[in-house]
Amino acid sequence: MDASEVEFLAEKETVKIIPNFSLDKIYLIGGDLGPFNPGLPVDVPVWLALNLKQRQKCRIVPPAWMDVDKLEEIRDLERKEDTFTPVPSPYYMELTKLLLNFASDNIPKADEIRTLVKDIWDTRIAKLRLSADSFISQLEAHAKLDNLTLMEINTIRAFLLDSLNCLYKLRSNQHPGSSKGQFADF
Amino acid sequence: MPCERKPMRYGHSEGHTEVCFDDSGKFIVTCGNDGDVRIWEGLDDDDPKFITVGEKAYSLALKNNKLVTASSNNTVQIHTFPDGDPDGILTRFTTNATHVTFNSSGSRVAAGSSDFMVKVVEVSDSSQQKTLRGHEAPVLSVTFDPKDDFLASASCDGNVVVWNIKEQSQLISWPLLQKTNDVSNAKSLCRLAWQPGTAKFLAVPVESKVQLYERGSWDHVSTLSDDLLTQLVNVVAWSPCGQFLAAGSVGGSLNVWDVSSKLCVERQKHEKGFTVCGLAWHPSGSQIAYTDTEGCLGLLDGLRTSTSNSTNTASKQAAVTKPAKDYDALFDDDDDDRVMDEGQSDTNSPVKKPIAGDDDDDDDDFLMPATGRVRSRAILDDENSLDTGSLKLGQEKCGDDDDTGSGVVPAAPLVPLRSAYEGPMPTPPQKAFQPGSTPAHLTHRFMMWNSVGIVRDYNDEQDNAIDVEFHDTAVHHAMHLTNTLGHTMADLSQEAVLLACPGTDELASKLQCLHFSSWDTNKEWMVDLPQGEDVRALCLGQGWAAVATSALMIRVFSIGGVQREIFSLPGNVVCMVAHGEQLLIVYHRAPGFDGGQALGVQLLQFGPRKRQLIHGEPLPLSHRSYLSWLGFTAEGTPCYVDSEGVVRMLNRSVGNTWIPVCNTRETCKSKSDSYWVVGIHENPQQLRCIPCKGSRYPPTLPRPAVAILPFKLPLCQTSTEKGQMEEQYCRSLLFSNHFSFLSSSGYEIDEEAQSQSQKDQQELLMKMFALSCKLEREFRCVELAELMTQKVVTLAIRYASRSRRMALAQRLSEIALEKSNQIQEAEPEEEEDYSSVRRPSGSGQSEAAQGRHSSRRYQEEEEEQEEEQTEEEEGQEMETDEASETKKRVNPFAKEGVSPMKTNLMPITKGGRANPFKVLGLGKPSSASGQPRVNNILDNMTTSRKSFPLSGPAGKQNKNTVLKPLAPRPKTKTQSTLLQMSGTKASNKKTQQNTQPTADRQKEPEAPPPASPADNTENKRPKTGFQFWLEENRKSITADNPDLEETDVIKEAMGRFRTLSAEDRLVRDTGRSGGRVPIRGEGHIRDGVLENL
Repeated sequence: MDASEVEFLAEKETVKIIPNFSLDKIYLIGGDLGPFNPGLPVDVPVWLALNLKQRQKCRIVPPAWMDVDKLEEIRDLERKEDTFTPVPSPYYMELTKLLLNFASDNIPKADEIRTLVKDIWDTRIAKLRLSADSFISQLEAHAKLDNLTLMEINTIRAFLLDSLNCLYKLRSNQHPGSSKGQFADF
Repeated sequence: MPCERKPMRYGHSEGHTEVCFDDSGKFIVTCGNDGDVRIWEGLDDDDPKFITVGEKAYSLALKNNKLVTASSNNTVQIHTFPDGDPDGILTRFTTNATHVTFNSSGSRVAAGSSDFMVKVVEVSDSSQQKTLRGHEAPVLSVTFDPKDDFLASASCDGNVVVWNIKEQSQLISWPLLQKTNDVSNAKSLCRLAWQPGTAKFLAVPVESKVQLYERGSWDHVSTLSDDLLTQLVNVVAWSPCGQFLAAGSVGGSLNVWDVSSKLCVERQKHEKGFTVCGLAWHPSGSQIAYTDTEGCLGLLDGLRTSTSNSTNTASKQAAVTKPAKDYDALFDDDDDDRVMDEGQSDTNSPVKKPIAGDDDDDDDDFLMPATGRVRSRAILDDENSLDTGSLKLGQEKCGDDDDTGSGVVPAAPLVPLRSAYEGPMPTPPQKAFQPGSTPAHLTHRFMMWNSVGIVRDYNDEQDNAIDVEFHDTAVHHAMHLTNTLGHTMADLSQEAVLLACPGTDELASKLQCLHFSSWDTNKEWMVDLPQGEDVRALCLGQGWAAVATSALMIRVFSIGGVQREIFSLPGNVVCMVAHGEQLLIVYHRAPGFDGGQALGVQLLQFGPRKRQLIHGEPLPLSHRSYLSWLGFTAEGTPCYVDSEGVVRMLNRSVGNTWIPVCNTRETCKSKSDSYWVVGIHENPQQLRCIPCKGSRYPPTLPRPAVAILPFKLPLCQTSTEKGQMEEQYCRSLLFSNHFSFLSSSGYEIDEEAQSQSQKDQQELLMKMFALSCKLEREFRCVELAELMTQKVVTLAIRYASRSRRMALAQRLSEIALEKSNQIQEAEPEEEEDYSSVRRPSGSGQSEAAQGRHSSRRYQEEEEEQEEEQTEEEEGQEMETDEASETKKRVNPFAKEGVSPMKTNLMPITKGGRANPFKVLGLGKPSSASGQPRVNNILDNMTTSRKSFPLSGPAGKQNKNTVLKPLAPRPKTKTQSTLLQMSGTKASNKKTQQNTQPTADRQKEPEAPPPASPADNTENKRPKTGFQFWLEENRKSITADNPDLEETDVIKEAMGRFRTLSAEDRLVRDTGRSGGRVPIRGEGHIRDGVLENL
């Protein structure tokens, strides 16, 4: 699973838009959308919101958490706590990126928000690396991944699993009694 | 009056000042905002000594050569006098003291503070303090009881309190003053004063009067007022003798009353009209020193008080010889020859005029009335009055009368002390505004936010611009205009932007219209209003614009700029809105009282039928509120919002009354929040508004988002199930009013929504019916049944009989019978209308709409019956408990119905079969409309109905083809005899056809083959009759036509639903005679249905 796939999933999240056109309800496999009344907020998936936005058919209303004050609070809490704190949205990074890239004109203080979200992301990734390091160094057997988002897990999964595999192999070879056949594999 | 107002002189910097005399009367001592205490050796002292007591001095008191001041460092300190050496700090507060005063002996000082406390401190020992707690706001002033038992204080919390000093407790409290939150905001300083000597009265300045309270009883015994004194009294002071009371007011008036006679004996006016904030009597009582808020010091000299009078009786007697002068002499023995200064001219009041007969100088003119008053007063007073002065006056006056003749006498009774007006006070009328705009003083504001778009105004120093933005960019692209004319009002419609600016001295008020939908190249026009006439409100209708002007006129322009109408308005306009051809104007009908507005409303209709729909009736508003929004719903029903957040809507069905449909305040989280309404829709029911946190209107940035509120009628007990359903029912009725309005004024209507709302109403009725049944409220059940359509009544009957309420069922059946009779009666009349309507409309939807409802009822009925059949066949038992349950069962049916709808083929087939009926349909749809609407109680039914409509197309085709001779015609004859049902069906078909006219036409030729569905419907009809009357046997028989007829006959005999059943039968008969060939098909379909079930 790569980042683009996670982003694809994130695009299913709903976001409020204010359309500037009028359209009846549309019936899609994923559910009914609309009706679209000009000037009246309506919930649509992000992919549609971005599409409409790019065609200048709507204005996106940023999600409630995409607010400087709230994000600062989250960032401060994230820095204070040793464990992962709950994030405002399971796709906060993806949504921020998507919305700020395509609809920054509809989001007040877009730059500050971008910085804040990046801060939160960096803090969390640093924590993740740190805990992965301690996980390995202390030879723990399992770890809890509370409050981690899919994107965060995804960034570390491939590397961590591979390296754990590697470690496992190396360690199993340290034991004298272990099969020497594996060595031959290498 | 014989006193001299000395010229003011500058004493302190601008701000609060106070003044007092020293004990000997040699010095005038003032303090002021500059923190200095100045000691003047008389007013002419050019180099007063000064003591700096702090950054600011708020108050001072002087006695026994001790100068006590309240200064800005929150202390009350003592200085020696006249040397000005600091003598220690008396007490401290947490914030500054506002007023300090000595008691009569000078042994104690009382101080009131902005920290709500009053302290009483012994001067000799400042550790002996008494604290009086109880005020809930900064203390304005304090005063000692001369007998030292009590202390009175006034506070910004509006109370004047008398304290028992020893017990430190509140004795009594009068809520006399206006509440404020700080001394600086208090309108009046309310300096209290206790009568020296006898200590009988406590003087309290209340608004423009001074009230006297009696010590001991604490009753309000009298009020001192003056006709010329209209502004708030700021400060009062007793003369040292205790007989006269001086008052200084906010407007600069200085009045002296003789307390015993309650007459104003002296009126003076500050030379510049500044607020008098300090007032002190000279110990001799002959002078009054006063200071104002501009820091100036003034002096009234030569006052005669009773003490001086008594000493001068001799001179008075001498003066008697000159009657006009006697009064003057009385008060002014020292210098009789003094001439009045200009200040006195101010005191000329209408009261004096009666003495026109006097040929003396101004002095006399002034005096005469005064003497007259005194005389009458003396007469009223008993001879033992302590007021020797007035007594003497009276005596003298009597003498005067003899001399001067009758001229003066009549004047006396004309001058009673006027009591001030105490009735309801008028409210300032609210200003004209544009609904959907934010206040004009904002630099960034909305000039208009409506359902079309937004007009914003940016009014910075550098530029003034207007942005027009459309919600739907398909209407027009956004516009940016420079606002060189300074437009303040705007309206926006699908066709144009209308702007207006008020006139200035040079430029007339202008109206500018950007007619962007114009097809020529000139998309803008401008009109100047006549000089002196300003635009107050404007609005855009469809193809016209209207402006209301300051000349109480409404001017109507066409959208292209032609002046079309002009008429006068009975009052100043408040606001004005338009929708389509309707114009709604709200104006001031009269002055409002007690915080309310008296508004009137007019609703006019332009277009081909010009008329006035509402003729200036009062507009109901919540208590003490004003209009905050006015508009039309998207469907064209007038509604408005008042400042209490109550949304009201015009109820056209009850004589144009206004119904409150929502209270936006109820959904606000905090008291200061509000909703700024931008639009109202009836279908779907939406109140579109912008939530504003802590304000009444939204800022332009960040761009506010629209929220949707639901409507809720304020019915009783909406927490109960009954109340809820009643509210829903009433609301549904109210919000479907616009259907009839729209169709009557020739607009298209959303028929699906209409039938849906009718169905909902009937469903609710049925639920309410079931609920009442459960509660054993049979009378209520009957009431509800009367609101139902006939078909639903039949359901109700079934429900009643199943729940073993035979009496109820009996009554219901009577109602059902009645309703069916009504339908029959209504038919012929309606037919005519119907036909007339149709022809012009052709395939118009309005016509179809009318016809359709009626037809739908029938269909629904039939469907219901069908359902019943199926249920019975299946052996299911009807669940009497809930109508809803029955609905659920129906669902499968509905689904089936849907499928035919979608496939066009089905309808066509029916149409072919239906042709015979069509003819009937043409004539009869009207009858259908007359009948009560049968909405299925069952939700699912609607879908099932649709299957019937399929048959409809055929009918419509017939309509279109009616002119051509078709096979069906012969059949029509037969039908015409009795077949109402068939007719209605036909109409149904037509309506449905309208929706898909093209398809239908194409399908006409194909019609005959797919008759099967139609057959089903017909078969079902007979069943309905059966089911009503509980005969289970007949269900099985339904398949056989002949049997059905027989059973129908039986039913007729049973009597309740005769007419209907008869009709049904007839229909059936005709249908068969018409030759539905493919009966086989029916059977198949039915089987299929059952299987599905």
